[in-house]
Amino acid sequence: MCAGLAARLAVGTSAIRVAATISIFFGGLGILAYVAMWVFVPRADEEESIASRVAADRRELQIVLALSSALFAVLLVTRALGVSDLGVPTLALLVGAVGVLVVWRGASTAETARLRERLNTAPGVSGTSAGWRHLAVRTGAGVVLIVVGVTELGRAGSFSGAALGVLVGTALFIGGFLVLFAPWWVRTLRDLSTERRERVRAQERADMAAHVHDSVLQTLSLIQKASDDPREVVRLARREERELRLWLFDPERLGRHGRPAETVADAVAGIEREVEDSYDVVVECIVVGDCPVDDGIAALVGACREATVNAAKWSGCAEVAVFVEVERTTVSAFVRDTGVGFDPAHVSGDRQGIACSVVERMERVGGRVAVHSAPGEGTEVELVVARAPSVR
Amino acid sequence: MTDTGRIRVLVVDDHALVRSGIRTELGDAVDVVGEADEVEAAVELILERTPDVVLLDVHMPGGGGRAVLEQVLGVRPGIAFLALSMSDAAEDVIEVVRAGARGYVTKHISGPDLVDAIRRVAEGDAVFSPRLAGFVLDAFSDLVDGPAATPSFDPEFDQLTPRERQVLRLIARGYSYKDIAADLGISTKTVERHVSAVLRKLQLTNRYQLTNWATERRML
Repeated sequence: MCAGLAARLAVGTSAIRVAATISIFFGGLGILAYVAMWVFVPRADEEESIASRVAADRRELQIVLALSSALFAVLLVTRALGVSDLGVPTLALLVGAVGVLVVWRGASTAETARLRERLNTAPGVSGTSAGWRHLAVRTGAGVVLIVVGVTELGRAGSFSGAALGVLVGTALFIGGFLVLFAPWWVRTLRDLSTERRERVRAQERADMAAHVHDSVLQTLSLIQKASDDPREVVRLARREERELRLWLFDPERLGRHGRPAETVADAVAGIEREVEDSYDVVVECIVVGDCPVDDGIAALVGACREATVNAAKWSGCAEVAVFVEVERTTVSAFVRDTGVGFDPAHVSGDRQGIACSVVERMERVGGRVAVHSAPGEGTEVELVVARAPSVR
Repeated sequence: MTDTGRIRVLVVDDHALVRSGIRTELGDAVDVVGEADEVEAAVELILERTPDVVLLDVHMPGGGGRAVLEQVLGVRPGIAFLALSMSDAAEDVIEVVRAGARGYVTKHISGPDLVDAIRRVAEGDAVFSPRLAGFVLDAFSDLVDGPAATPSFDPEFDQLTPRERQVLRLIARGYSYKDIAADLGISTKTVERHVSAVLRKLQLTNRYQLTNWATERRML
């Protein structure tokens, strides 16, 4: 907070900190100012300030108003009971308390989490290992402290000038309250933050729905424009379908999108995506089992991709089936099309080059390649590689 | 079957577009005797018209395909169900198959293939799409189970024979039953028997991880 102010005023951070600390002794005004800024100034990495967030939410506003009025009532009652002059510090403290509440209710999730962490580390407020005996002891201690504190305050009232008495009384009073209610406060705060988390989750779902709708609508309009090009229509529809599936059924993989694949299933999904995007074929990928990608498997996936591209380019078939199975000691891949096929003994030109690179890749890692094909019978490429012992 | 020998089919799907699409794909190959768009109506109509095969959507309001299966098969176990789904999510597929569907295909399936699948199911055989074959291989994989088998381990239902594994692998690789028969040197009828056996195991196994597996699969 001080750092933020320093940046705004172009003064040194430590100067502001010292000023803030000193101002606390002037009737608690410093505390007030600090909390006020906390409420009204947005955090460096966030757009809304806490106040604007609270004001935007009716329920939050109601809670804050209710608590403020309750505090005001307490003030009136104490005044009526004859403890006439609570003094500026007490007032500042009370207003500060309301401020802290606003902060808590309006803080962003990141901030709430940080606050909670700090609260949990504070001694004596864990509140988790309560138990009845624990509770009884705490209640006893709390009540005793409050009673002693009030008596002390009363005595101080009659012997005017006993500043020490007032101080000790107030301390005991506050201590008693803390002992009594701290665990409950912490629990309440925790519940509040759980509720907040749930709201965030609902927000995420809404975001996802919005994204999905947006993307689907866009694709639909593209499809309408490309309606005279059936291949393009199929390609667009297929791409949208792939993306939608990812969103709906595999959001975690979506998060890994764009990063190098870590597992076999990821890598094979990448093949499906790339080949379908570049050629107008449907690649049906089925993966059984999964394991991390090592050098041998990376080679297998690379070879598998080339075989799939090969089938997409040459088979004349609209669908390529890719089946990858991870077993205890080996990983095998089958790329199959039911297209024109060829005679493996007589290959020429481009095809030869690709076939060679597939074979070379696999041989480098001690793998095996077999090509089954005959003219008119479709083609199936079989790839097998051993798994490294360490990752088994 | 009708007098003309055509298979009587009832289509259950909550999307009108899908239902009419299926009707078009099927053409005259089968006799579509009715359509339903939600669970209760579907159960009523199926019991009233007793079709040979019900094409059943997995996802529907009011309990989905599973609810229809449970309510109909309790009264008329003879009606065959073929599950049609868009989702490809393992837990959905496994759920309807375990509830009694004789097969599972995706809505991408071509008209002739769908007719073929309906015919198979009507004859009492099982129909596995490559994806379902992949799921089953995965669910019955030794990798998932590990050496420490569950206490309720029942070898009869909890494991696949090597032959069944072979058949499933070939299905997953995109082979038709005819191709599989040729590849393994067995008859098409034998292939069908293996697939039906796998379906039975899938429905009867207590393999504890089957349900868990299906749900956890998404978390991986």
